[in-house]
Amino acid sequence: MKRFFNIYLLLIVLFFFTGCAGVREFLGDIADKIAEKNSEKAPEGTKFLPASYYLEKALAYEKNDELQTALFYMQIAGTLNPDSIKIPEKIASLKSTIDHKARKHFTTGVECYEKRKFKDARRQFLTTLRYAPGHQEALDYLKNRLHPKEYLNYTVKEKDTLKDISKKFYKDPSKDFLIAYFNNLKTGEEPISGTTLEIPVLESEFNRPSIDIPIELIKAENLLKEKQYEQALAVAGKILDYDKSNKAAQDLINTAFCQQGKDLIIRKNYTEALHVLSRADPQYDCVKKTTSDVYTAMEKQAEVHYLKGVNHFLNEELQSAIKEWEKTLALNPEHKKAKKNINNARSLLKKLEKVK
Amino acid sequence: MQRSANRRKTISVIVFLLSLLLLAACATSIRSHHKISEIRINDDFIIVTAAAKDTLSSLAAEYLNDPSKEWLISEFNHIKTLAPGQELIIPLFPFKKGGLKLGGYQTVPVLSYYRLSKNKPSKIAITQDDFKAQMKYLKENGYHVITLDQLLGFLDYQEQIPEKSVAITFDDGWISVYDIAFPILKKYGFPATIFIYTDFIGGGKAMSWKQIKELSEAGFDIQCQTKTHRDLTVLKEKESFKEYFKSLEMEISYPKKLIKKKLNKECKCLAYPYGITNNLVIAMLKKHGYRAAFTVDNRSNPFFIDKYKINRSAIYGEYDIEKFKNKLSVFQNMELK
Repeated sequence: MKRFFNIYLLLIVLFFFTGCAGVREFLGDIADKIAEKNSEKAPEGTKFLPASYYLEKALAYEKNDELQTALFYMQIAGTLNPDSIKIPEKIASLKSTIDHKARKHFTTGVECYEKRKFKDARRQFLTTLRYAPGHQEALDYLKNRLHPKEYLNYTVKEKDTLKDISKKFYKDPSKDFLIAYFNNLKTGEEPISGTTLEIPVLESEFNRPSIDIPIELIKAENLLKEKQYEQALAVAGKILDYDKSNKAAQDLINTAFCQQGKDLIIRKNYTEALHVLSRADPQYDCVKKTTSDVYTAMEKQAEVHYLKGVNHFLNEELQSAIKEWEKTLALNPEHKKAKKNINNARSLLKKLEKVK
Repeated sequence: MQRSANRRKTISVIVFLLSLLLLAACATSIRSHHKISEIRINDDFIIVTAAAKDTLSSLAAEYLNDPSKEWLISEFNHIKTLAPGQELIIPLFPFKKGGLKLGGYQTVPVLSYYRLSKNKPSKIAITQDDFKAQMKYLKENGYHVITLDQLLGFLDYQEQIPEKSVAITFDDGWISVYDIAFPILKKYGFPATIFIYTDFIGGGKAMSWKQIKELSEAGFDIQCQTKTHRDLTVLKEKESFKEYFKSLEMEISYPKKLIKKKLNKECKCLAYPYGITNNLVIAMLKKHGYRAAFTVDNRSNPFFIDKYKINRSAIYGEYDIEKFKNKLSVFQNMELK
């Protein structure tokens, strides 16, 4: 009994010294050995479903165009049946199909992107990723290139200053601080030639000019009143350079063209009037009206020349009559009477010359 | 002699009990392994035969180190429960990043709430009962409410999330989020993100920093919604562009610093006041280290959404459960072949 008790005590002391870890390691070693032994036997479905089960599954997924899942099940089949020659061949073939399909869709995606068919491009890149989830280029298109950028890149040229660049992008040199801020430049520090700057793209409402638009508009209106059309057009054009959609400047420009056109009608310079009006926006009412006035005036003037021609003809002044009718036809090429009379007058003139 | 025998007996009993205790302690610390019935495939997958005591959750804990990842095993094997002896595959990596399928791609709805009220709804205040009903609907219909980090992992094409994932957010920092929403979300175990505009905090109907800290410690994600909640896209009357720019910088940088100071947490996302943004704001967010930002465009999000224009569906007080369901689109049909 005493001996038994001593052995027992010894065992307990041993437990105390080695602790749980020792026991666990000891038990773990046994478990691992059993596991090793079993895993050696595991292939060909002693403990698992047979390789053929996974192979069938793989083929079904392949048929449904779920190629990544098919590949995975084939790899399982291959692991369960490492002696198979057929399975590695199938895996290689499947990998090649995946590569081919991914490449095909990616190429189509790039083509669509370049044609700016972004919706189609997105679908192609998504398809590429479905076949090849690790396709980094398709991912780059989807995550970056297909989204509008909030900045543009600009490579600094020699002698470029921040103010120059600001004027170039924002039409406003005073926004140079913005470029400095986003490119970590200190106040007064100029960018180095050849470096690439990130220029934030501002919405049009922020591209406010450094000029005072209301004052410039008043200037343009005064010039218009003084009939200094070209100067008025220049000032209004400058306003539009800063603010393309400035309605007042657009109105002023078209009014200037109309007034210039009217002046030219009064001076009977119809060709120039039409030329001036061709520079205006044809949708403007005043442009439509003045253009119509030019044609009406031309018709009236053609009639005046026609009647003058008739008078000359009646007075047997054939040369003068022909000249007037030529003016008629220049203004109104469809004037039937002038056409007819001018032909008669010319043939009469020829006959008279023969008689002479 | 008799006394000595009794003493020896008592010592034996004590030693025996002690040894029993020791062995019991050791026995519980030995983790059950499936080594006998598992095969590893290319370090990507493990085939396992389920033991009698196994659940999807216990397998996820054992093989994926995260019991909450049971859905990953469930979705891969197309199973909802586990039977003893059942052979199943445990994927060790995100096997479907982006949720791409032959018939389309996964989308994640991000729900946007503002205030809650005990019983009186308004445009931006949802009643307690409606909120409860909505959370119950999510729970009972297999939706997984994911964290902001999970959402970002999905949008980065890094992490796989459950097929029926949804994220919950609250704007502004109303006290009703603490009083009403917090206990309900806690009951369902749903995480949520609160976007606060810091000038509001501590005010009459707003939460205090103490309450926000409590929510943060309870696992709620506290993120920014600027300092003053100004519209970030327009200049105020008589405000010069330079003044506007300075104001933007403050609206974006100040709350980030304050949250760090008050909660010792990183603010990496921002919800745009009124849900609107422009290029300059986005450029500024990137400069200040924000990883993503949220609008209130009423759509779900695919992984390829612009991370600075993440959509959110606003849930208004007048919504019934049918309208709520319509906001839970988790898949976009599109033939991908």
